[in-house]
Amino acid sequence: MTAEFSTPQMSRRQLLKLASAAGLFAAVGVSATACAGPTGLPGKDTLTLALNRSLVSLDNKLNQFDAAVTVQRSVREGLTAIGPDIAPIPMLAESMKMTAPTRWTVKLREGITYSDGRKVKPKDVATALEMYSKVQGSFVASFFPEFPTVTEVDERNFHLDSKGPIPILDALMALILISPAEDNKAEELQTGVGTGPYVVQSFDRGAGTYTLVKNEKYWGEPAPVRQVNVRFLPEESSRVIALRSGEVDVIDSISPNSMEQLQGLPGVTIETASSLRLNQIFYNFRKPKSHPLSDAKVRQALSYAVDGQALVHDVLIDTVEQAQGVTPTSLTGFAKTGDYVYDPGKAKSMLADLGVDDLKLKIIWETGEFPSDTAIMEALVQMFGDIGVKTELQQFEPGGNILQWRQGKEGDWDLLGNGFSSPTGLAITMLQGMYAGTSEKEKTRDTYQGYVIPSVERKIVRAASEVDQAKRTAYLKDAQQAVWDTWPCAWAFTPKSILARRDRVQNLELSAANAYPLARVGLES
Amino acid sequence: MSTTVNNPTHAAEPVRRSAVTKAQIKGSSAARRARSTRIKLWLGTILTLIVVVPIAMANLLPIADPNMQDLGARRLAPLVDGHLFGTDQLGRDLLARVLFGGQTSLMIGVLAVVVSGAVGVILGSIAGFYGKWADVIISRVLEAQLSLPLLMMLLLVVALFGPSIPVITGVIAIAQWPEVARLTRSLVLVEREKPYVDAAKTLGLPKVQILAQHVIPNIFKQASLVILLLLAQAVLLESALSFLGAGPQRPFSTWGRLISDGQDYITTSWWMVTLPGLFIVVLVVGVNLLGDALRDGNLRRSSKKEGK
Amino acid sequence: MLTYLPKRIGQGLLTVFLTVSVVFLLIRMAPGDPAASFAGPLATSEQLAAVREQFGLDKPLFEQYIIFIGQLFTGHLGQSYSFQAPAVQVVMDRLPYTLTLATSSILLAAVVAIPLGMWMARRSDTDAELGVNVLTIAGQSMPDFWTGIMLLTGFSVIIPLFPASGFTTWGGLVLPTITVAILQVALISRMVKREMVNNFNAPYLNIARSRGVSERVLTWRYALGNAGIPVFTALGTRFAAMLNGVVVVEVVFGWPGVGSLIVRALETRDYPLIQATVLITALLAVAVQLLIDLAYPLLDPRVRLGKAASA
Repeated sequence: MTAEFSTPQMSRRQLLKLASAAGLFAAVGVSATACAGPTGLPGKDTLTLALNRSLVSLDNKLNQFDAAVTVQRSVREGLTAIGPDIAPIPMLAESMKMTAPTRWTVKLREGITYSDGRKVKPKDVATALEMYSKVQGSFVASFFPEFPTVTEVDERNFHLDSKGPIPILDALMALILISPAEDNKAEELQTGVGTGPYVVQSFDRGAGTYTLVKNEKYWGEPAPVRQVNVRFLPEESSRVIALRSGEVDVIDSISPNSMEQLQGLPGVTIETASSLRLNQIFYNFRKPKSHPLSDAKVRQALSYAVDGQALVHDVLIDTVEQAQGVTPTSLTGFAKTGDYVYDPGKAKSMLADLGVDDLKLKIIWETGEFPSDTAIMEALVQMFGDIGVKTELQQFEPGGNILQWRQGKEGDWDLLGNGFSSPTGLAITMLQGMYAGTSEKEKTRDTYQGYVIPSVERKIVRAASEVDQAKRTAYLKDAQQAVWDTWPCAWAFTPKSILARRDRVQNLELSAANAYPLARVGLES
Repeated sequence: MSTTVNNPTHAAEPVRRSAVTKAQIKGSSAARRARSTRIKLWLGTILTLIVVVPIAMANLLPIADPNMQDLGARRLAPLVDGHLFGTDQLGRDLLARVLFGGQTSLMIGVLAVVVSGAVGVILGSIAGFYGKWADVIISRVLEAQLSLPLLMMLLLVVALFGPSIPVITGVIAIAQWPEVARLTRSLVLVEREKPYVDAAKTLGLPKVQILAQHVIPNIFKQASLVILLLLAQAVLLESALSFLGAGPQRPFSTWGRLISDGQDYITTSWWMVTLPGLFIVVLVVGVNLLGDALRDGNLRRSSKKEGK
Repeated sequence: MLTYLPKRIGQGLLTVFLTVSVVFLLIRMAPGDPAASFAGPLATSEQLAAVREQFGLDKPLFEQYIIFIGQLFTGHLGQSYSFQAPAVQVVMDRLPYTLTLATSSILLAAVVAIPLGMWMARRSDTDAELGVNVLTIAGQSMPDFWTGIMLLTGFSVIIPLFPASGFTTWGGLVLPTITVAILQVALISRMVKREMVNNFNAPYLNIARSRGVSERVLTWRYALGNAGIPVFTALGTRFAAMLNGVVVVEVVFGWPGVGSLIVRALETRDYPLIQATVLITALLAVAVQLLIDLAYPLLDPRVRLGKAASA
């Protein structure tokens, strides 16, 4: 009897063995890629950062979210960098001077090499510029009026020539990170070297983890930390827990809630910086003339319904400031044009005087557009409800078709939750981006939510083309006042960039661009 | 599937002359099984009612408006200031949100079960009754759906048609109809061999009528036993979709969304995740127990019938 | 056997082909624009058009489909938009993580559920068994994302034993594995119990018992042996289903597997990546299912493939 059954039993045993071997294999396959320490706590000379977005590669031209730039700049550098006082400081360039209206002359640093020992050459700059210019819809490209061309003088000196003058080219070149010309291509650079204080030791694209080690041959002051681990933790709550337990040292771009949870915990410090961003509850400017919202008075009246102080204090935990104009106060050229006032009684009486009753609003926004976005929107529903305006919400998940909606191609809406930032640090950039819409641009729906007001547009153009400093400031103020008087937003605020770190992390200087120089960050010994 | 056929048939004598004591009968496996079925039935009913009754009466109960915000009373712990379950990040009463959210979740669940039940019974009985190409096509579709990445497909469909209650209901029904269809098909396969079907055919009744008037009513009771189990699954599936962001538009609260909102506060406000989750668990455990008990009871009854 | 295998493989491939075709259509019908996700909010209509052309999305749907079918044969499914790398490669980078989680969960589930089910079968309908039975029903009734968050709160926040997210140490595997395994234990243990109780009541067992076979042999070799086949099948099927990515659990624990990849791909409308993920996971699921079917005759000498077709 046993003999009869022996064959299948043997096979069953083999089968089980096979199955467990397969399981083991799968597990080992991962352990080879994941760099595993036994405890999960970072070592004494290892700094661990947890980003909320996956760092697909260190190629700056295609991945330009804030924290990514921090990491990218520790491996690749530009000719210049933006210093703490928002002025360009030389990096790979020893000097960079405007020698003619359309020509900048650059001298590379003496004996500068990449981490693998290759020399940095003018051709590398030329190729880098070419590759950045090829990216469609690039964030960086939008700041360049045109891309300059490189004219080589010798192996250390070259000119950057352009058709028109680019007076801020030294600041703009901080955005272009340099790689060896022979390795640079239009596609994403998965690997490769730079001149920075760190080099990539290993990376796992699947998990979005990077291990950086100190570049021993760095031209500047060497990095104080031996190794930097970059991890990807998509869930905000997981990042908070990981920081609490000391599993990671730095988490950036955190929400006010997370800040509140971390504040006061032993071993954790919060860093904040003013940002270059304005988050708005923006009106739809594509409404027909007969619609109440096309009347600036109605828009003004609705803004009185918004209890900005409560939103700032209770929902956003005092991590933001109410806007005092149409650009963030931190921008160069900002002018104060007014305040958002909470006065529901006035809102009601104004609406009644304007003969607006039975107004219904629809607010649209994309999840994650700004911190605590859903809480703000739900609070707004209540606030508008208090003055008798029924409000409906429509939330879009990332990847949805909010663009079509914004352009008015899919459906009608009244208010949009949206953020706009000015990475140049200039108020004029924001004004041009949002309020300089023309009917020409509106044909392809390329204006900001249909904002086409020719008188405002003329004032912005005048301010942008004025060379005289004093006149320019006056014109800028005039343009901002003109925008304010059209009441484009029901409410607006400037968020702060918030970052949390373990106390052992030192010299972390968070900038207004929500990035920090990794090269200087050290660890307490 | 023959269960204990040994003793109970002789127990029908008028005067009981047996060495078997009552205690022994009570200890017999059949009696014990009946007892555990009964306990499950009661437990299931109680748990289900604990959740369903307050949800059904949410509009009558003296609780706060689920959308009434009080920014000064954010994230109050349970039992503070008359908030039995505490408040959420905007100072809304969590109990009210859980109960009114439950109305949405339960409604979607019940509707989804009705739709998937109807589709499943119709297609399953067509496959079982007509056989041939109808069976081939329906069985293939059933099989193909098993190998699909289900949740992803559901997310896609929700993205495609927008996250409204009918769409989410439909999506859950799509996920669930195969189970009903498979069961119905196997029941119909047995049923169609029975003499009454032949009789009806001989009488010249059209096939559709035989199926609709005679076969389906006969299998309906057995097929309907899975309904409770499906309801449990539907509630879980709905909460998972809401959790992943594919729930009905705000400010509709659903259980999944309450949990996903609360997730951002787990280190400071445990109640925002724990309590809505407990509501789901209690309801689903109750419904599952009920379903289990009914199925057990039914199995025994049908095996008894076969015994006679 | 000779006709069985090609037929099964053919059926499997057909299923996979239909699946990816449906997905191909669905994602293109769904609202949302990959170009807009790729080029960002500042892009002009002109730039968007250029991106669409670069992705080949300006071509008619039918032409795109023909190109896609061509790609299926070469195995190169195009560049992922968001990763800017071959989509198949991106999925392969993530697959080991999903495989690890699926394997560890199914092993844990088997190790716990089989003894538990046997115990439940032996103690059928006692008070203790009823209690455990209710517990397993509870395990089956907990939404997995909630279980996950509860475990996180308990063992990462209150008692910081395990990392909260990701997979950089082996400790990171513990909580997701438990979360996935709870449901599986609940289902499998009840199945083991049911199968064994059926076998206990089967005539062959009574005969064996009357011939003096010891209770231990009866339980282990007879009842469990015969219960083994359906249980093995169930374990295999559950494993195959997990290869599609344990989406919710991966999201909760930031697990870098296929499930969280597909959520991300959906968010960026990364068509090639979605297609590659579906293709690879569907192929794997079909292959695992086939392996299970092929293993039947090894486990049970009564089964002959091709004759006893499992409907």
